[in-house]
Amino acid sequence: MSVHVSTLQARISGESTASSPLSTEEYFVNMGPQHPSTHGVLRLVLRLDGETVREVVPVLGYIHRGIEKMGEHGNYRQFVHLVDRMDYLSALANNWAVTMVVEKAAKMETNDRIQAIRTLVCELQRIQSHQLWWGVFGMDLGAFTPFFYGLRDREQICDIFEKTIGARLTMNYIQPGGVMYDIHPDFVKDVKAFLTYFKSKMPEYDALMTENVIIQERLRGIGKLSAERAIALGATGPVLRASGVAHDLRKSEPYGLYSQVDFDVPVGTTGDCWDRYWVRMEEMRQSVRIVEQLIDNIPEGKTFLVKPAAKIKVPAGVHYSHVETARGVLGVLLVSNGKDAPYRIHCRTPNFNNLWCIGEMATGGRIGDLVATLSSIDIVVPDIDR
Amino acid sequence: MGVITDNLPGVLEPLPGGSVLVTAVDQLINWSRSNSLWPLTFGTSCCAIEMMMATGAARHDMARFGAEVARPSPRQADLLVIAGTIVKRMAPRLRTLYEQMAEPRYVMATGSCAICGGPFMYHSYTTIRGADEIIPVDVYVPGCPPRPEAFFYGLLTLQKMIREGESIRHPGERRRPVLAALPEGMTLDDIRKEMQDLLSHDANVNMTEAAAEGAHYSAELKDF
Amino acid sequence: MEAPNLIAAVQALQPDATVRAQSDRPTLIVPAHALVALATRLRDDPALRFDLLETHTAVDWLDEDRLELLYLLTSVPLGHHLTLSVSVDRDAPVVPTLCKVYPIAEWLEREAYDMFGILYDDHPDLRRLFLEDDWVGFPLRKDYEDDFMLERPE
Repeated sequence: MSVHVSTLQARISGESTASSPLSTEEYFVNMGPQHPSTHGVLRLVLRLDGETVREVVPVLGYIHRGIEKMGEHGNYRQFVHLVDRMDYLSALANNWAVTMVVEKAAKMETNDRIQAIRTLVCELQRIQSHQLWWGVFGMDLGAFTPFFYGLRDREQICDIFEKTIGARLTMNYIQPGGVMYDIHPDFVKDVKAFLTYFKSKMPEYDALMTENVIIQERLRGIGKLSAERAIALGATGPVLRASGVAHDLRKSEPYGLYSQVDFDVPVGTTGDCWDRYWVRMEEMRQSVRIVEQLIDNIPEGKTFLVKPAAKIKVPAGVHYSHVETARGVLGVLLVSNGKDAPYRIHCRTPNFNNLWCIGEMATGGRIGDLVATLSSIDIVVPDIDR
Repeated sequence: MGVITDNLPGVLEPLPGGSVLVTAVDQLINWSRSNSLWPLTFGTSCCAIEMMMATGAARHDMARFGAEVARPSPRQADLLVIAGTIVKRMAPRLRTLYEQMAEPRYVMATGSCAICGGPFMYHSYTTIRGADEIIPVDVYVPGCPPRPEAFFYGLLTLQKMIREGESIRHPGERRRPVLAALPEGMTLDDIRKEMQDLLSHDANVNMTEAAAEGAHYSAELKDF
Repeated sequence: MEAPNLIAAVQALQPDATVRAQSDRPTLIVPAHALVALATRLRDDPALRFDLLETHTAVDWLDEDRLELLYLLTSVPLGHHLTLSVSVDRDAPVVPTLCKVYPIAEWLEREAYDMFGILYDDHPDLRRLFLEDDWVGFPLRKDYEDDFMLERPE
C-alpha cells in the first residue's frame, strides 16, 4: 500500500476551476505571515478571481514551538506555565485545563474557595479577552476608536490581576492543588468597582459599534457558517454558538462553580459575522452576571491544599479534561505511565479547529470581507501552532 | 539616507572649522531621528499584546515619544520590535523583513523568547534561541512579557543611543547592542529595596514572613 | 448514555471491539480496517450521534513498537463521549482516513502525520502541517533526534 505525501507547492498549483464566462484569470495572493490583520504570524494563501475569493489555504507553523514535546520533558507544574503562552488571552483557562486533568487523574482534592477563585478569575479574563477582541475587531473593520475603548477598559482588569496574581498576561496562577496565592485584600472591592464601571461603559460599546448602521451592514450576511458544518469542522465556542448550537461546557459539563450560578448561553441564528459579534457582546454581559453572583460569596478556606514542591504522580492511563475558554473548548489529553512527568500530553485547542472554518466562510465572498470574517473568528495564532 | 546627508560631510569637510558644523548637523539629524521612530507592526506571540497595550492603549501611549506611526509595511518602518518567539520557519521571513527596511533601521528584542528563547529554550526542536542569531539587535528588553513601562524604557534607551552614539560619517559604528541599562547611580540593591517598599505598601506583604516562606520553599524545591 | 450502556451499544455495532483499560472515558480498541465503517455508524446512529470529532492524536509506545491512535468523539446533542483506540505498526503506520466522516479529520490527521509520520490512506491532501515540507523525522516520536535541540542541564 502506498500513500502519497504532497507539498505546499503542489497544493497551490492546481488547475483553474473558473467556469463562468465572466471570470477572469485566477491568481494567488499571500496574506501573511507578516500582515496586520492576521493577528500574528498566520499565512493564508488566497486563490482569487478578481476580488472574489475562490479558495483559502491556511499555512501554519510560523510559531510552532513544540510545546507538546517540551511537556514530555518536565513535570506537571512545569507544563502549566507553558500553556500560558498558547492562548495568552485565556491564560487562566489554559492553566485550569491542565490543572483539571491532573487533579482528576491524581485524585487531588480542592475546596469551594479554590473553585470560586478559579471561576471568578476565568470569567474576568473572558471579559478581558472579549474586550481586546472588540477593540481589534473594530480596527480590522477600519474603525480606530473601539481599540482605545476596549484597551482602556481592559487595563482595569489587568490591574485587578496584577494585584492578586502579579502578572498581566501570562498568569501561571491556577496550579494542581489550588491557586498560587490567595486573593488580594482589595480584590472584592476592586472587582465591584470594575463591574460598576464596566456596566456604565457597555452602552458606549453599543452606541459605538452594535447600533452603528455601517457596522451592521458590513457584518450581516457575510461569512456564514451553518450549524451542521460548524460541528463537522469541529468549531466550538462563540463560533459554534453563533451558528445556533447552544454547546457550552459551562452548562453541559459544569466544572468549578458554574453549576451554582445562573447565566444564559447566547446563541445566534444564521452564523454570520454579525451573529458572532453579537454572541461575544452578550457573553460579556453574562460573564458580568456570573462575577456578580460569586463576588460576595467566596467561601472561606485554604487556597493551596498540597505542599508546593510536592511531586505529583498520575496513575498510568489516558486522561482527558476540557474547559470552555473565551474561544471554545480547550481539551488536554494526558497519557501517563505512572511517573511524575507526562508520557504524552496533547492540547486540543479551540483556535485550531475554528481556523478551518475560514475556508467555508470566506470562499465565494469578497476579499474585503475575508478580513472581517477572520477577525470575527477571533484567532490567536500561537494557540493553533502550539 | 538621502542625498543631502550623504553629501553633506563631504561638502563641508574641506572648510575650516567644518568638523564643528558637521557635528551640529549630526546632532540635529540624530535628534529628529530618535523622536520619529516608525515601528513595524510585527508581533508573533504574547509580547505583541503587551506592545499593543503600550502603543495603542489610553494609559500607555507611545505617541508621547514620537513613535506612534506604526506601519504594516517594512519599507516605511525604521524600528523593528521583535515581540515574541521566533521559530525556524519564521526565521527567514524575519530576515527578509529586516532587509526590506531602509537604513537607518533599529531592532528591539522584547521578551525572553526574542532574547534567548525564553521558556522554549530547552527541548524545543524549532525555537530559535534569540533573535540576534538572525538579525543584529540594538536593545534588549527583558520580561515574559515585558510590562509596557519596560517597553518604554527600552524605547528611551534606543532613543538615547541614537542621539549619542550615531554619526552620519561612520554609520557602521552604531551597532552596539545594549541592555536597557540601569540609570546612573542606581544599583540592583536599590531596585530590590524599592520593590520591597512597594510590596509592603501596596500589597500588604509582610516581607519578613515572605522571606522566611521563600527560604522554606527553596529548601523544598531542592527535593525536586 | 451511561458508560456501560454506551460500550454495549458500540460493541453491538462492532463485536470485535475490546475495552481499553486505564482510561477515564469509555475507550474501545478497534481494528484499523473497521474504522471508517464504524465511525460512520457512530455518527449516524440516532441513539449515539457522535457528530463531533473533538480531537485526534497519537501516542508513541516505543517499547511495544506500536503507535496508538486516539479518536475522541463527542455527541453535542446527547452529551456523551467515546474514545476509539487504533494500534498500528511503528514502521508501517498506515490507517484509513476519517476525512469523509469528519471533515476536521483532514487537519488533525495532517498534524499526526507531521508529528508521528502516520500515513492516512486516501487522504485528499496529506502533507506536513507545522513543519517545512523538507523536514527530516517526526518530532513527537520518542526516538526523534535533533542536533538543534538542547537538553536541560540537571
